[in-house]
Amino acid sequence: MNMPLDRGPDGFIRDDRQNNEFLVPRQAFTSDEVLAAERERIFSTCWIYAAHASEIPENNDYVSRKVGGRELIIARDSDGNINAMFNTCSHRGAMVGREPKGNNKALVCPYHGWTFNMAGKMVGQPADSGFPDDFFADGKKDLTHPAHVDVYRDFIFVNFDRAAGTLVDYLADAADYLDIVADQSAIGMEVTEGWQEYSMDANWKLLVENSADGYHAITTHASYFDYLQATNGAFRTDFNPTDVGGRCYSLGNGHAVIEYGAPWGRPVAQWVPQWGDEGKVAVEKLKADLVERHGEERAARIAEKNRNILIFPNLVINDIMALTIRTFQPISTDYMEIRAVSLAPKEEHPDVRRYRQYNFLEFLGPAGFATPDDVEMLQLCQMGYQNMPEVVWNDISKGMNRAENMGDDELQMRSFWRRWNELMSA
Amino acid sequence: MANYSRGQIEDFLYHEAELIDSWQMKAWHQLYTEDAEYLIPPIEAPDADKNTALFIINDDYHRLVQRAIRLTKKSAHVEWPHSKVRHMINNVRIVSQSAEAVNVGYNQVVYRSKRGTDTFICHVTQTLIADGDSFKIRSKRVMLDLHALRPQGQVSIIL
Repeated sequence: MNMPLDRGPDGFIRDDRQNNEFLVPRQAFTSDEVLAAERERIFSTCWIYAAHASEIPENNDYVSRKVGGRELIIARDSDGNINAMFNTCSHRGAMVGREPKGNNKALVCPYHGWTFNMAGKMVGQPADSGFPDDFFADGKKDLTHPAHVDVYRDFIFVNFDRAAGTLVDYLADAADYLDIVADQSAIGMEVTEGWQEYSMDANWKLLVENSADGYHAITTHASYFDYLQATNGAFRTDFNPTDVGGRCYSLGNGHAVIEYGAPWGRPVAQWVPQWGDEGKVAVEKLKADLVERHGEERAARIAEKNRNILIFPNLVINDIMALTIRTFQPISTDYMEIRAVSLAPKEEHPDVRRYRQYNFLEFLGPAGFATPDDVEMLQLCQMGYQNMPEVVWNDISKGMNRAENMGDDELQMRSFWRRWNELMSA
Repeated sequence: MANYSRGQIEDFLYHEAELIDSWQMKAWHQLYTEDAEYLIPPIEAPDADKNTALFIINDDYHRLVQRAIRLTKKSAHVEWPHSKVRHMINNVRIVSQSAEAVNVGYNQVVYRSKRGTDTFICHVTQTLIADGDSFKIRSKRVMLDLHALRPQGQVSIIL
């Protein structure tokens, strides 16, 4: 593939560890050739998050959605196994799953009536002649499956590359962070009712960068902090603002995290006065249960730290004042579709669930007090990139001059871009 | 409560729309009672319960006031400079009225222009209580008649 990017000694980025300067070419956000190469080298080789097992809890449940540029069905078949299928009839190609979610014993193509069970096996069609007797017998007219589907702690991923390694190897140190998310429940986490599907007029990698960017918060989100200040009891009373700082870690294979103290309430499990005395009882019980299951140290980390987790290439899990799974699909160089849901313990107390869903929206989502301003920033960046070829590079150097990276450094973006560069410039 | 006519209700709804469209945010939030809610439920589950489901907006009075205040600030970047907003309200019905409250329903199209133009098609229910010669809003629930927030991307204005 002929990419218009200038190849230097480090590939398509400039990773100058002598002078602590890290540069990314702005054409990576604007070039159709780059997006085509990303579809081939990233979205067709990496493990891509598809769904959470709690979205298909019963046999014959399914969801249909865009995943890695494909249209997929993720289904639990009549034996309880999780399957991924391409949402396209083996006959003439029509999408056989037309609802975003459902429960069906079979998927019936609306075009000619070819019928598939929830494992993708072709089980019937309406004509009684015109095909040899054994035409459908050997499975060659079944729905096609992605090369791999695998599940880690209820997070379902697919991979379209036959030669791919295992999911757990791919996740590398990010698996520990999925554990921290999954360990917030004794019996399992669930995606709650209601999803947020929206879009941005920006390149998908801008949202990767923004989703774990501690540096932008005080500027972009000044009005959100005004809101917190104006809200009685929204902060923990003993909170020391100098504790927020936190750390940033590279987790391997392009994954990264920022982990930092939480000034606000966390449904699992940090009480704030806004939640009242009853809330205090419920949240302290949650904390005690965490201590019992995981010990003091890990329980404190689960309960009191925030985490913005990036899993390469397009999964973000923000474990902050609520827990969101956010994934996004590039449609064109300057337009992406985003899907976000709220994740919570299945056994959550109704009061805590109420705080969670209320809290989620104070910051997150397309009408939160912060996300729309992020969208605006990313769109301003995308528009700013029209000033090429005169203005060529983005700078992502913050924190390169120190060994241990702070929560408002840019190591997490460098981790992403180094992996992106390896895959794209190989 | 008196037996209100549709005309009286429409006058009030148009007044609220005018305050939003002219960015009179303080006057807008003053239309609400102190136990008010302002809600946008999930697109695919318009009847969902705000206490269990993930909404798009789930504001109590405190938060809707803060939402209005935020929109007056330059640091609310997405709405600075302010977009042009225009509400079109029609199909107004009085669903029920009692001594305490009147429940109304209407259809609404809201245009927001900044760079491009976004269109929000919705149907709305409001619960109003008498306030002198006018009303106050105890509940406003805006249900989006969209497949997804695409290409709008966000609800950065008051619908």
